[in-house]
Amino acid sequence: MSEVAVFGQYWAGDSPVHRMDPRVKMLLSLAVMVVVFCAQGWLGLGACAAFIVGFFLAAQIPISQALRSIAPLLFLVVLTALLNVLFVQGGEVYFQWWIICVSEEGVTRAAFVACRLFLLLMSASLLTLTTATLDITEAFERLLAPFARIGLPAHELGMMMGIALRFLPQFTSELRTVYRAQVSRGATFTANPFKGGVRSLLALMIPLFTSAFRHAETLSSAMDARCYHGGVGRTRLRELSLGRLDAAGVAAVALMLAAVLACNVLAAGIL
Amino acid sequence: MPIEFDQVGYTYIDPKSRKRKARRVERGQGASERGKWGTDPDAIWALREISFTVEDGEFLGVCGHTGSGKSTLIQHMNGLVHPAEGRVLFDGKDMADKAVAARVRTSCGMVFQYPEHQLFAETVYEDVAFGPRNMGLSADDVDARVREGLSSVGLDFEELHEKSPFELSGGQQRRVAFAGVLAMRPKVLVLDEPVAGLDPKARREFLALIKGLHETGLTVVMVSHSMEDLAELCDRVLVLSEGRRLLLGTPDEVFANAELLKSVGLAVPAPQALALRLRERGFSLNRGLYDVEGLAADLADELAPCLAARFEEAGKR
Repeated sequence: MSEVAVFGQYWAGDSPVHRMDPRVKMLLSLAVMVVVFCAQGWLGLGACAAFIVGFFLAAQIPISQALRSIAPLLFLVVLTALLNVLFVQGGEVYFQWWIICVSEEGVTRAAFVACRLFLLLMSASLLTLTTATLDITEAFERLLAPFARIGLPAHELGMMMGIALRFLPQFTSELRTVYRAQVSRGATFTANPFKGGVRSLLALMIPLFTSAFRHAETLSSAMDARCYHGGVGRTRLRELSLGRLDAAGVAAVALMLAAVLACNVLAAGIL
Repeated sequence: MPIEFDQVGYTYIDPKSRKRKARRVERGQGASERGKWGTDPDAIWALREISFTVEDGEFLGVCGHTGSGKSTLIQHMNGLVHPAEGRVLFDGKDMADKAVAARVRTSCGMVFQYPEHQLFAETVYEDVAFGPRNMGLSADDVDARVREGLSSVGLDFEELHEKSPFELSGGQQRRVAFAGVLAMRPKVLVLDEPVAGLDPKARREFLALIKGLHETGLTVVMVSHSMEDLAELCDRVLVLSEGRRLLLGTPDEVFANAELLKSVGLAVPAPQALALRLRERGFSLNRGLYDVEGLAADLADELAPCLAARFEEAGKR
């Protein structure tokens, strides 16, 4: 209904990246983030950027879509940059007023951190842009499976994650109905608690909670009716399997790591 | 206080994105073939060119297949939703004005589908008092309104007012939700499928309650899937199809169009359908709209001579 881009909302496609095994993708996107953190200088960061742009090209996601999907989080980048400008001191001072002091090192540091954070966001969004939520949930569950032996409820966690994601749009639409019903009864919703705001919020939250409980009960009966009995002995409609694409993905990320490390060494050598 | 719809159109496309698109068009990019309003090729219209007036004191029924725009239409009646095109006038004033819309909300009571899902307070009293309190009435007035609201839906104030609404049965919860709206003393009552999900007995009681409220002078607008209920209760029926006004008229006029209604996925009331088919076979059934009793009476008149002849024949033999 609305066109607001959600962070990393799934972008349907059939690119090599889309077809990769979600487990591998999940691990690789973690690896890419680690690599981005490894980059010490501008050269390394440049190499990271080049690789990430390459991944986006391979995923056939228009760059405008990628930027739009991380737009809501860009304020984080700006905030971090500002903090760095204000708190990192050293080198030539450009501007000073009261306790605010902007120095050369602060500005460089801020630019570097902002770029790094931006690349991190881009690589994180690549996972969710190319993987449907159901696949992410399944990958999450399968990756946690080894820990089930030490008592971690992997299957249950995955199921909870899947159900929670499924109910988000449901609750959004129910919240809208309740909102309209209470507005029809003359309610005004302000954030100001001194104007009956809390009371009005209760009029929204309590119907929402009761509906959540109602849905939970219905859903659990429906799952019982279909003989759901937890993850033990449960088979899957679609088995995940590793393929050549996954090997290629691992190779690409390994290459990225190598390139970044080389850049680091190179930069250290030059200085 | 009549509610007048003047060429109302509504689209789910976010107005901001429509503005953005309009700017693109101005700059000569994007959909340039866009001509006058309504010809935008990629706009999805929930309502198109709807014009009618809800008259004072009438009982208007609204029906249409799922997704025909019924719920969107009625939400225009108290300014919850603003038309993308056209105007909605309440008592001659345009509801696009926020002050007007806010005022309208106290005189146009809206009961949503499954209103019991919107109950929230600790006690029945508090829940019914929510509307009157929002109107800024004094404690005494609020108290009077709550008593009045509960009694008008046939609930006992003394028995229920301190109970939690969540302890009550489904039918009673719905009555409490109704009382919450009626306590605002609306002039117009807008109901979105008020009897959905009720058992037959509760359903009959509820329809009787609505009928009674209408007889006290309330204007009632009711969305329903039950053609029988609409035929029995309404003064006029509005039929929507794909967001457009398909038919508007008295139940006699509307339900005479059995074929047209069938083509948009609706039916005529069962006795009326039977009467129309018998008429095709040569029965002289002349009333505009048949209910069960009417059909039985006319059929008896029609069949009596022919049966009498049979008996006579049998007697002779």
